[in-house]
Amino acid sequence: MKVGRATIHSYWLMFIATVITVSIVTSSQLITDRIGLLLDRQASELLAADMVIISSREFDADYRQQALQHGLQVSNSVSLRSAIFIGDDPQLVELKAVDDAYPLRGRLERTREVTGGRSATTEIPARGEVWVDTKLAQLVGSALTLGEAKFDTSWLLTFEPDRGGAIFNLAPRVLMNLEDLSRTGLVVPGSRVRYRMMFAGEQGDINRFKIWLTINLKAGEEIQDLENARPEMRQALESTRKFFALAIVLTLVIAMAAIAITARYTANREAPKVAMLRAFGISQQSLFRYYLRQLGSLWIVATVSGIALGWFTQFPLQWALDGWFGKTLPQVHSLKPYFSAGLVGLLALAGFSLPYLANATATPPMQVLRTAVNRRSWMRGLLITGSAIVAVFVVLVLLMQSSLLAVATLALVLACAFILPLILGWMVKLLLFSTQRRFWLRQYLLSRLQAASRGAIYVMSGFSLVLISILLIAVVKDELLGSWQEQLPENIPNYFLINIRSDDIEAVGAYMQQHRIEASTPYALARARLKQINSIDASAIDFVHPRAEHMIKHTFNITHARELPDQNEIIAGEWLDPDNPRPQLSVEQGMADKLGLEVGDELTLTVGSMTLRAPVTSIRSVVWENFKPNFYLIANPELLADLPQTGLLSAFIEEQNKADLKHLLQRFPSITLLDITELMARVRGIVDKASVALQFFFLFALASALIVLLAAIQTGRHEREIESSLLRALSAHTNQLYRVHILEFTLMGALIGFFSACFATVAGWAISVYFFNIEFHFSVAVWAYSLLSSCLVLTIAGTLVSRRVYNVSPMKILRS
Amino acid sequence: MAEDNLCIALNQVGKSVDTPDGKLDILKNISLDVKYQEAVVIKGASGSGKTTLLGLMAGLDQASSGDVFLFGENLTRKSEEQRSSIRAGRVGFVFQSFHLVQGANAMQNVMLPLELAGKAGAQQLAMESLQQVGLAHKTGTLVEHLSGGEQQRVAIARAFAVKPQVLFADEPTGNLDAVTGRQIADLMFHLRDQSGTTLVLVTHENELLERGDRQILIESGKLLTSQA
Ligand SMILES: Nc1ncnc2c1ncn2[C@@H]1O[C@H](COP(=O)(O)OP(=O)(O)O)[C@@H](O)[C@H]1O
Ligand SMILES: [Mg+2]
Repeated sequence: MKVGRATIHSYWLMFIATVITVSIVTSSQLITDRIGLLLDRQASELLAADMVIISSREFDADYRQQALQHGLQVSNSVSLRSAIFIGDDPQLVELKAVDDAYPLRGRLERTREVTGGRSATTEIPARGEVWVDTKLAQLVGSALTLGEAKFDTSWLLTFEPDRGGAIFNLAPRVLMNLEDLSRTGLVVPGSRVRYRMMFAGEQGDINRFKIWLTINLKAGEEIQDLENARPEMRQALESTRKFFALAIVLTLVIAMAAIAITARYTANREAPKVAMLRAFGISQQSLFRYYLRQLGSLWIVATVSGIALGWFTQFPLQWALDGWFGKTLPQVHSLKPYFSAGLVGLLALAGFSLPYLANATATPPMQVLRTAVNRRSWMRGLLITGSAIVAVFVVLVLLMQSSLLAVATLALVLACAFILPLILGWMVKLLLFSTQRRFWLRQYLLSRLQAASRGAIYVMSGFSLVLISILLIAVVKDELLGSWQEQLPENIPNYFLINIRSDDIEAVGAYMQQHRIEASTPYALARARLKQINSIDASAIDFVHPRAEHMIKHTFNITHARELPDQNEIIAGEWLDPDNPRPQLSVEQGMADKLGLEVGDELTLTVGSMTLRAPVTSIRSVVWENFKPNFYLIANPELLADLPQTGLLSAFIEEQNKADLKHLLQRFPSITLLDITELMARVRGIVDKASVALQFFFLFALASALIVLLAAIQTGRHEREIESSLLRALSAHTNQLYRVHILEFTLMGALIGFFSACFATVAGWAISVYFFNIEFHFSVAVWAYSLLSSCLVLTIAGTLVSRRVYNVSPMKILRS
Repeated sequence: MAEDNLCIALNQVGKSVDTPDGKLDILKNISLDVKYQEAVVIKGASGSGKTTLLGLMAGLDQASSGDVFLFGENLTRKSEEQRSSIRAGRVGFVFQSFHLVQGANAMQNVMLPLELAGKAGAQQLAMESLQQVGLAHKTGTLVEHLSGGEQQRVAIARAFAVKPQVLFADEPTGNLDAVTGRQIADLMFHLRDQSGTTLVLVTHENELLERGDRQILIESGKLLTSQA
């Protein structure tokens, strides 16, 4: 309709708000899918797969068969120690034989010479060839004898994903083709060989296969996935993902608030037109259809523009992220982002703007003759808020996996929609009464207040919601980053020594002491599975917590200790009495929460082929991110006495101790060394990378905030013009008025800043504690930022409004 | 019924509103007939109740007592939507403050009610109407760029475009200077004479009073004179 096109300019704020909403969804869906994929990959690359089983014996052929049937990729590797000769000198090497599929995740990197450029490759050593560690650089191009076979040394291996970076003082790596292994004759009964079978595939397939595997696993075989191999890493990934979801939802909330506010503004502007048309006898129904058409065309144009905008933002985003990730984001080919973007745009328009416009179609025609026609209806208010709630909720459910987050966000939006206008209106009244003594000013401000209750308060609440969301993103981000830093004191352990044979545990501990290496007490580690709680089969219990089932299906670490480990705190019951031989168990708080365990509950556990029964005697909080050995279950020494265990300790090894460490590894060759520094760098990297991506969404948030501000400036402008002309007629000084206007806005700004900071602090606390499980710190900066920015922005807005008002000629005002 | 032959009939109509100071009787006991094709001018001081009366006659508002008939239909117990459908395509309005749609041009303003009423050939009708008010050369101009007189011409074109049986005008010259006001009044009465539309015009100016077929004076919500 021609008229529709011509009047669209009165809708332009609403239009831009919708475009922003649609592009947020488009680009977030395009990007989060890809970043999620990338985060998964990054994590999986630490294992070179999504899941690994490790054993000292060869695996059943059935495993591979089953994995393939589950739609997974499979790769095998075998590693063992062997000696080679360089000239006449023997050298211990870590030999690893891999098949064509290796690595399932991540890439190998190689070079021809130590100083040469490294290149990633999908190849593995060809038959008859080996690739060697850079420490063996002198061997390149020459022949190398391994056992009974001779090999050409073709490349230097510079990176291998599942090696955890360059572990300097392990024996140097020699990588060969698995098919050559038997030729070497090195694998004979009694040789210490580690077999790894690696799997990769879709998460669902992996999970299904893992269940099968768990049931069929044989003694001595161990499953490793991100969950149990790298809990710190998993936490970082989970938090990052959650944070990303949170930030996007908040950005979206801002954009939708902008739609609501601009829709309200548009509807108010449409009221006189509606009154005129109704006077001409146009029915409410045709008016409703008219607005439906207007919104329909707005939706279509906004969706197309929004999707285009969202689509384009992925390029700068990708460019920015590539610098961090050093590799291309995996492509996602799906129409889903575009569909959901269009749908969210539709929902937002239907939920926020349609009720306002429907409401506008009920403008009484009498309004053409008299502007102030009273009209207040509970039903309409209910319709508007009801449909807004439904819209927000559907969008949240549509876009988020976390129901907790959806509910929390909804609560935030509702609080802003209902409580904020009340509090703001009330506070404004209070403040103005106490600050303004002069009669006419007070009168004037009171009249302004009434105008405020008509609309400005809602705009201000919307502005406040925007500010709260921006603050929240900042607060939670700081808390997350802070939580990593704070738990990393100066001399945090930088190495994990794992796979210490149980017979060696004490000797290793003694060695550490003797060489004054800062190390944790060595822990004996067994992997337990929870079978029963109070003699009821765990698999038969209906747990409330969504992660409970996961805990039942997996094995977790159990250790024994005499003393409460560092940074653990007893929160219920009493710490184990090590001298009492009766069975006792201390359970980690998160596990207790998930499984609903309390002190006194009796747990039945299986460790290997043995079964244990013990009561929970205490519940313990654990700082998982502290890079020290942490355990779900700690038993008294008596309880674990006869179980198969391996040892584990963390140590802080400085440069001068590295020789000692090397010596230790030679003495206890079963030990595997994990470099935590590398791990930490990766963890930090992930959070950093997510932050970069988020800056883009911040731009969207700022754009929405600007729209809200424009609507705020426009709302009530007409009333202001008339009021100011009246006041000028009453011979108030223009300067005074000017100052009153600005003062009014500044006060509003202070109020909004104050409440936004309150809300952001409370919500930030709730989100940190309940959603991310991290500690929360009160931040003065948030309050300062909130108050300052809010005052500043609103003062500027106030100045703009006032300038406009005083630029209008009094004649024009009097005439309208 | 006698009302069937009348365009508008008011029977003992009263209007009162609740105010913070108690009940206020704006109109008291008003009886008034308007025949088809008649031009009635209602004059009264500001605050005498003219606008209220016009609103009741057009069915924009509901009377507190008595009966209002428009085109022979009793508006008393009709809903706002029913009253609206009685007006549809049969009434036109001209207001003191024009009530044009800002951001739309003259042509679109005239077309809007036609299109929403589903009239065929809306563009044709609008063009003709704009020619009649002498604005054929300004059809594409945004209304906010037109002078006050021109804006009121657009409003008149909009009112006549629907070919109404009755045209209600509330102080149509109130926002205009004397010369322009006279031109607008000339135009309105000229078009009325041409089309035979019934006209109900309220004003506080004596000048317009003379132009009607019938003059009615209102004071403090009561009719003083009604001359044929
Ligand atoms: N809704 C209302 N509430 C209170 N007073 C009203 C209302 N409508 C009209 N009035 C009062 O009724 C009187 C007549 O108003 P109106 O019909 O607008 O007069 P006129 O158009 O002749 O100037 C005025 O005194 C006005 O203040
Ligand atoms: Mg009036």
